[in-house]
Amino acid sequence: MHFTNKIAGILAIATAMTAPVLAQTTIVAPSGSAQGTYMDYMKTVYDRGTGSDLLQVPLATFDKNFELTPMAAQSWSQSEDGLTWTFKLQPDLVWSDGEPLTAEDYIFALQRAATSGYDFAWYWDFAGGIKGWKEVTEGTADVSTLGLKAVDEHTIEVTTVAPKPYFPSVTSLWYPVPKHVVDKLGDDWALNVDTIVSSGPFDIESWEKSNNSVVLTKSDTYKGPWQAQVDKVELDPTLNAPEVGLPAFLAGDADYTFLNAGQVPVAEARFADGMRRNAVFATSYISYDLESEPFNNVDVRRAFYYAVNRDELTSTVLKDIAIPAGSILPPGYPGYNKDIAAEAVFDPEKAKQFMADAGYPNGEGFPDIEIWIRDEGGYNGAIIPPMAQYLQSQFKEVLGINMSIRSLPNADWMDGLRGAKNNIFIAPYEYDYLDPSNFYGIFYNGGRHNYHVPEYDALVAQADSESDPEKRLDLYAQAEQVMIDQGLIVPLVHPITTAVLSDKLGGDASTPNDLGFTPLDRLAHYFFTHLTKQ
Amino acid sequence: MLGYILRRLVSVAVTFIVVSLIIFLMMHSIPGGPFDANDMPVSEAVRAKLMAQLGLDQPLYVQYFRYMWGVLHFDFGVPYQSPGETVLQLLSRAWVPSLVLGGLGVLIGAPLGILLGMAAALNRNSWIDYIASALATLGLTVPVFVTSMLLILIFAVWLNWLPASGWPDPERWILPVAAYAAIPLATYARYTRAAMLDTMSRQFVTVLRAKGLSERRIIFQHVLRNSAIPLVTVFLPMFIGTATGSIFVEAMFRVPGLGAYFVSSIEVRDYPLEMALMLMITFMYCIAYLLSDVVYALINPRIRIGGAE
Repeated sequence: MHFTNKIAGILAIATAMTAPVLAQTTIVAPSGSAQGTYMDYMKTVYDRGTGSDLLQVPLATFDKNFELTPMAAQSWSQSEDGLTWTFKLQPDLVWSDGEPLTAEDYIFALQRAATSGYDFAWYWDFAGGIKGWKEVTEGTADVSTLGLKAVDEHTIEVTTVAPKPYFPSVTSLWYPVPKHVVDKLGDDWALNVDTIVSSGPFDIESWEKSNNSVVLTKSDTYKGPWQAQVDKVELDPTLNAPEVGLPAFLAGDADYTFLNAGQVPVAEARFADGMRRNAVFATSYISYDLESEPFNNVDVRRAFYYAVNRDELTSTVLKDIAIPAGSILPPGYPGYNKDIAAEAVFDPEKAKQFMADAGYPNGEGFPDIEIWIRDEGGYNGAIIPPMAQYLQSQFKEVLGINMSIRSLPNADWMDGLRGAKNNIFIAPYEYDYLDPSNFYGIFYNGGRHNYHVPEYDALVAQADSESDPEKRLDLYAQAEQVMIDQGLIVPLVHPITTAVLSDKLGGDASTPNDLGFTPLDRLAHYFFTHLTKQ
Repeated sequence: MLGYILRRLVSVAVTFIVVSLIIFLMMHSIPGGPFDANDMPVSEAVRAKLMAQLGLDQPLYVQYFRYMWGVLHFDFGVPYQSPGETVLQLLSRAWVPSLVLGGLGVLIGAPLGILLGMAAALNRNSWIDYIASALATLGLTVPVFVTSMLLILIFAVWLNWLPASGWPDPERWILPVAAYAAIPLATYARYTRAAMLDTMSRQFVTVLRAKGLSERRIIFQHVLRNSAIPLVTVFLPMFIGTATGSIFVEAMFRVPGLGAYFVSSIEVRDYPLEMALMLMITFMYCIAYLLSDVVYALINPRIRIGGAE
């Protein structure tokens, strides 16, 4: 054989042998929403480009068991008075253009958010409680008065208005913004793939703006914790709808897909090993106007509390899309208390007794009521309307009352809730940050519900700033007991999502957590960095 | 003829202005604005700042004239939902997939529909006619997302011949084009059948037969030409309707096209894009009908436009 032929032959064999090793691993996943303006989480949350959170490294984030894990921050500490937090950054973090990532980039992100109409600005007040935040966002104080300071290149100091023992978990949504790029290009840096720089486990390769789908690649400059184990991730919001996602999954075009209730049995029969469930950290509950008839009577509220058969509800009309809720906190959420959840039982006799005590034996003399629900998409859209109809018949049967249902657009519903324009509502709430104070805060002193229950408020305020974790959870449990005793709400259900995963996917992120749930892309940082593909 | 076209162009301009006014007023009479949709709305101070940045703090008539002045200079503004580009850039980007898929759908569906209609008309009341009519009725009555689902189920999931969805590889075009083709195919089959039956019952066809012309010449040279008028009427409007994308087909087949913008621009109160899309559609329909009328005159000697010569 001629020498060059030999070489060519050897090369051909070598190429053939190395090809499988060199083959790129790409995960195609449903994720994001179809509209995205800026690829910058700290510019807009509601209209963000898909994957903008994966491009940057937050100070800390959650693993699949919802344990807080340091990311850009190496460590943190709280001052004696509990008002100041100090975060030490990892020393060797860089932007994808080679510039060092510094404390200044994190501070700048929040300073800009406080002054430029950030749609998520309320979070840093409500959850973060950063000193001066309210005044700066309202334009009555200068940005320099914010409780944020870069002590040196790698040290961030945050001052809060009250002790916030859970502040580190709030930083899971604190991403850096490349100040050196914004200085040059302004906010437009986040509009084009060519000018976007990243600090996290992924870089961006392409962005289809018509549907906000992106192709991300494993970063070669990111040296922090949790590096990507695949070469590429394609995040495609057009796969979100199970009606589109499942056919694409079956045809091999997607590595996993969410399922609607009708698809679950079909998928279960074919891919038993690939089925994954997740409890969304959300709760649907009944709330009232506590000031007006007939719900200003605690016995009426207690009657409603005992009149709901959650097990029947979630095994029939809400099969595969919700699980019973006995507490405002969902299972797995920090502070979730099994004993409290167990108090929410279906007890028609008790319910009838409470109605009689309230002066409405068998519902006699009880006014006709109208329950207000809001027009919803997503999981709430599948859950709330049928649930309202179920409750309508159950309340008729158990309590002997007539309840009609009215569905309103979001703004009108919110207005009705805040302005007490109706006396009974079904309200859904999904968490914004992982701490019990989030859920208890919505009933706190005129919060989302305009509730003012002094006993409850005192316990929640005390718990919010308690630094001993055990004492703190105990205080929250006491607060929830007040809610139960006074019948402030009726917890109904927690939504669950069901997905099916391809058997090509592996890694820690593809298996359920300690509670049997698989959070998938709800924990995007953990999920996409702990996923492998054959 | 030229005078007629000029007069029609003037009426196009008037239509355009009237439509722009109606759309603008309707758009702004829907409650809520671009910053009201979030669960946790921005504060009043922030909202006012954002509204001023977009010029939405101005009186409505100022906003209208400002926008229309821009339109005269081919400046349709910057879409709120994609601030990195102009409306025109967005349209030229997102229209490509819709034009390719919808356009191919019409260009393939229409001739097939004509053939089907001809087959039905020439074999009236035979099984061919029944099958063709059933197909045409199904094509018009089955919603396009059902057709899409069936196509995906059969050809991608069961037979595994084709990819289920996606863009841009050409093999991914086949199923959406087929879904798009169903409507022109059905429409054309019905129109062609009806028009041909009508023409074939005319006296001149009997005369042609009596003169001994071959059946083939009668059908292709005389019947078809005389049956073409209704086909011309529907072609351009149908082309525009299909080639601007369907939100259903594009969602089912994951096509990054224009269809979704028709809905999202209203949903998120993206005023510049909403106006631009509506004006574009209005303009295209006006021109399409004008062209159709001109083509009538060219193919049918009985129609003389431009007055009584």
